[in-house]
Amino acid sequence: MRFLFGLTVILALLLGASVSAQTEPPVTDSVADSVEVPAIPPPAPVTDLKALDTDDDHGHSVTLTWTKSVDAQTGQNTVNGHQIFRWYPAMMDSLAGVDSLKNMRQDIQRAQSANSVFRRALGVAEDALEDLTSGGRGFDALRFTVATPQDDSTFVLDRAFVEQALRDTVATMTTHLPLLPDSIKGLQASFEAAIERLTEAHQAYPEGGSWNLVGLAAKGDTSFVNSGNKDPMSGDFIKDFTDLYYRVDVVTIDETIRTESAIVGPVQSEGQWFNGGRFPVFWAVIIFGFLTMYFVSRARKGDDLYVRPLAGIEAVDDAIGRATEMGRPILYVLGLGTAADVATIASFTVLGRVAKQVAEYQTELIVPTYDPIVMSVAQEVVKSSYLDAGRPDDYKENTVFFVTNLQFAYVAAVNGIMLRELPATNIYMGKFFAESLLLAETGALAGSIQIAGTDEIAQIPFFIVACDYTLIGEELYAASAYLGREPILLGSLKAQDWAKAAVIVLGIVGLVAANLEWGFAKTFLEYFHVTN
Amino acid sequence: MSRTAVIVFAGVVALFVVSWMVKAMVLADVSETNIVDAFMVTVAAFLTLAIYSFLYKDNPYYKFAEHLFVGVSAAFWMVQGFWTTIVGNLLPRLSEGLATWFQQPYQGGGYDLGVFVFPYSIMYWIPVILGSLLLMRLSPQGGWLSRWPLALIVGTTAGLNFVRYLRSDFIVQVAATFVPLFGRDPHPWQGFGHFFSNLDLSASGQFVALLSNWVIFIGVFCGLIYFFFSKEHTGAFGKASRVGIWILMITFGASFGYTVMGRISLLVGRLTFLFRDWLGLIS
Amino acid sequence: MTNIGVILTLIVIFGGLLWLLVRSISGREVDRRIIFLFIFVSVAAPIIFQITFKERATPVVEALFANIDGLPAGSKVLISFDFDPAMAPEVQPMANAMSRHCLEKGHKIVFMSLWATGQSLMTTTLSRVILPEFPEKVNGVDYVNVGYKAGNEGVLNVIVSDFKKMFPTDVNGVPLDSTQLFRDIRSCADLDLIIALGGGRPGPKEWVLFVGDPADVPVGVGVAAVVAPQLYPYFPQQIVGILGGVKGAAEYEQLLIATHDRFVDMETPGIDMMGPQTLAHVVIMAFIVIGNIAFFRSRSKGGSK
Repeated sequence: MRFLFGLTVILALLLGASVSAQTEPPVTDSVADSVEVPAIPPPAPVTDLKALDTDDDHGHSVTLTWTKSVDAQTGQNTVNGHQIFRWYPAMMDSLAGVDSLKNMRQDIQRAQSANSVFRRALGVAEDALEDLTSGGRGFDALRFTVATPQDDSTFVLDRAFVEQALRDTVATMTTHLPLLPDSIKGLQASFEAAIERLTEAHQAYPEGGSWNLVGLAAKGDTSFVNSGNKDPMSGDFIKDFTDLYYRVDVVTIDETIRTESAIVGPVQSEGQWFNGGRFPVFWAVIIFGFLTMYFVSRARKGDDLYVRPLAGIEAVDDAIGRATEMGRPILYVLGLGTAADVATIASFTVLGRVAKQVAEYQTELIVPTYDPIVMSVAQEVVKSSYLDAGRPDDYKENTVFFVTNLQFAYVAAVNGIMLRELPATNIYMGKFFAESLLLAETGALAGSIQIAGTDEIAQIPFFIVACDYTLIGEELYAASAYLGREPILLGSLKAQDWAKAAVIVLGIVGLVAANLEWGFAKTFLEYFHVTN
Repeated sequence: MSRTAVIVFAGVVALFVVSWMVKAMVLADVSETNIVDAFMVTVAAFLTLAIYSFLYKDNPYYKFAEHLFVGVSAAFWMVQGFWTTIVGNLLPRLSEGLATWFQQPYQGGGYDLGVFVFPYSIMYWIPVILGSLLLMRLSPQGGWLSRWPLALIVGTTAGLNFVRYLRSDFIVQVAATFVPLFGRDPHPWQGFGHFFSNLDLSASGQFVALLSNWVIFIGVFCGLIYFFFSKEHTGAFGKASRVGIWILMITFGASFGYTVMGRISLLVGRLTFLFRDWLGLIS
Repeated sequence: MTNIGVILTLIVIFGGLLWLLVRSISGREVDRRIIFLFIFVSVAAPIIFQITFKERATPVVEALFANIDGLPAGSKVLISFDFDPAMAPEVQPMANAMSRHCLEKGHKIVFMSLWATGQSLMTTTLSRVILPEFPEKVNGVDYVNVGYKAGNEGVLNVIVSDFKKMFPTDVNGVPLDSTQLFRDIRSCADLDLIIALGGGRPGPKEWVLFVGDPADVPVGVGVAAVVAPQLYPYFPQQIVGILGGVKGAAEYEQLLIATHDRFVDMETPGIDMMGPQTLAHVVIMAFIVIGNIAFFRSRSKGGSK
């Protein structure tokens, strides 16, 4: 009695504590159509029903194809849709008794949720007990929750009673809770054993089983994919390498008038090692990879791979000359990228070139950085450029320095430098975000020549309006390859050019094919289709 | 602080208090928590004004609002990261005890290998270890250890994205340039008279449909030619490249226009807040 | 009152612009704060005097509207709130309009978010639009709010094949298996339409790349204006329609009002915001013209800038 009461108290507390109230779906009572429908003749069945394992998937799925009934959209035009049935052995069905998979799943889920609910309940009970014994603040709350539903007039709800009830509850739960996980494990083991037996049970077809509706298809459809779940705990689990049998019914507007197809089976589902639908991607990877390797090796051998000069890069040379004439510094901003971003890496190459010329002309260079790693790499780059130019003594440690890695604080600092030092040239290369216009605008106000380059498409318009030269997207990589002559960069640039040429050629072929409606156009376009 | 600064500061504080009180009085009829509500609205309004004060010139109020924003968002993301990534995604898959402790549904299970069941939870120790290695960049000696998880992140992201990008951004986009240039379904050629008579720009008339197809065709090919680096841009090739850069510039202009619209929207959003929620000028 | 306000505003703005033109032609500098003031007046006045214009839908917006309109009742639509308060003035009106449209047509909606900040904005839509305007719609039957999940593209990569693996429960902890709506949704492939709202990363583009294309589900997008141009190449093959910025939202609202009597008196933040937009755009265009006149004049005089 006291245990039960304690449990009620706890459940009441739990209900009060949990906010989530689940809404029940409303019961929709379908009003049967009382109008008398003239008898419909049964339609002709679907023919040529075939069941095959679904291609290019992870298994647990079967594809059915059929030829439409002559009465679907033609003939008597009585077919309203298709119903797809699969044969279930009795053990999958809930009506078959306690051993059915469905019931076992429910038992496991119930035991698991009981486990977690009781654990929470124990915590609540212990807290309530603690509360009660320490100060009794919670007693009023308890009385409030419990007193209302009582109709037992002899029932006395005093502090001692509640305390004893809670103690009993905690004691009982503490002894029983540790046993729950074991019983869950037991349930799971027998469930797994049942799943093992499932293959065997399917082989007993057609003994001891029934047909179950697994899906619907529209009247015009000629195929259906019965894809199940791979998790046995899920209700629509389909076991791989197990004999499955299917049937497709054509139904009329009155669902009782229907015609069954011939039964198809056994068919087994299985997963494929390779997804054939992704072959276009595979070939693209192979071809592009080969091109890259080929051009990189050519560049390594010292072949002269031509890269056209870029206006932005030629402007860099002029700008450095201008800075020297004016006796003003050059500001080089590497952007907000990390040292791992391609744009930042490309920017290092450009920085190396700029630093070398700066060293030769003995102009001042300012490189404020946003990322500490970028700073250390940039320091190395500038130092080695001074060495290359034969002026290692002119290199100053504070040419490259760290500012901050707060976006707008960095902008404020760089803008400050622009307005104080009035550099002759500002170069922005790398990754830029919302700060692009703030920087470029201030630079333009300060009257500097500005050259920018970024692969952030959204920022390019801002640079274009505020700078004198802008390297658009890939031009930044090209500039880096052009200046650095690094075999890997040159090789990949060349490979990309070839890929672009391939796109142009394919595009023209496809366009011509699409416009002239040639027979091969369809297959050509189909080859571009990639499945998941 | 200079004398003017003190006077301005005192004025701002006084304005704030007055605004708070007036707002609280106005809200008294509609809300029981009017004093707190009024405080919130007033704080939001003053922070908005503090940020906009930058347009006049840089000042301490702007700096205060900016730093407040940076601090609050850092804290917000830290807490979000803990509760959604670690508590939400990791712990429920790691251990039942921890999941129960944080009141998350346990997501256990395992691979059935026939002989025994390999629990999923073991797999999730791998990200725990890699994640801890990522934190090693804070240590001066162990910094190199953080490169291993970084390598994994870069590698898997590249691999995962490769297929997606190649399909959606390359193959499907190439296929999308196969457009009819001379009138075909769904807009079959109906003669020159029809072609020139139906010039409605927003309709799906033949002129517009064909014009946009030609723009796509010329834009894609000239744009690609502009980004072709292996050949000098001279002669016909150079002309195509010029067209390419024009197309790019028009695109950037459109993009710029959209950005202006976006920024104005933000201003409208803030001003609506100031006029409606704070000052009550509009309903 | 409104008319007087409009006329006064126009006189102030265009008079000011004339003054600016004269000043720039005579070669005198104009302080940038004056420009800010102009923008402020041209945005503030239409808000206060509530000047609005009639919108006419463009094909990209019409396509998305027609798609939602044409789906049979009971279709399953997912709306993803991948934006933050900074994008909300542009994107929230779209979210509200499309949620209304879907519920009115009898579609079932799954609300989710890939951005932590999206969840509270989703709650705003639920509490300000759905609960008061559609009291007959039941949580769990007509719509489900599964909330936010951390993991960006990783989340998409999982839900494309198994939704409940990432979202075992809804935002209140109710198991999705127990909701009527999720009885026949296993993965994103079982959805009839995905509406990705946002403008950052992950956002609409990731929805196309990771879900729309692989699972062959139509994706419609509503985006902040900044990213809209980058999404046009995906239309119409990979994206069924685009609402770009406030203009897109306004066009959608106009279509909704024109076709559904029920929504004639609904809130139209998108249309309301197009008033200030239009005036501000006119002023900006005038600035560009004035700036160019001043530039060419100073150049013809041979003076430096």
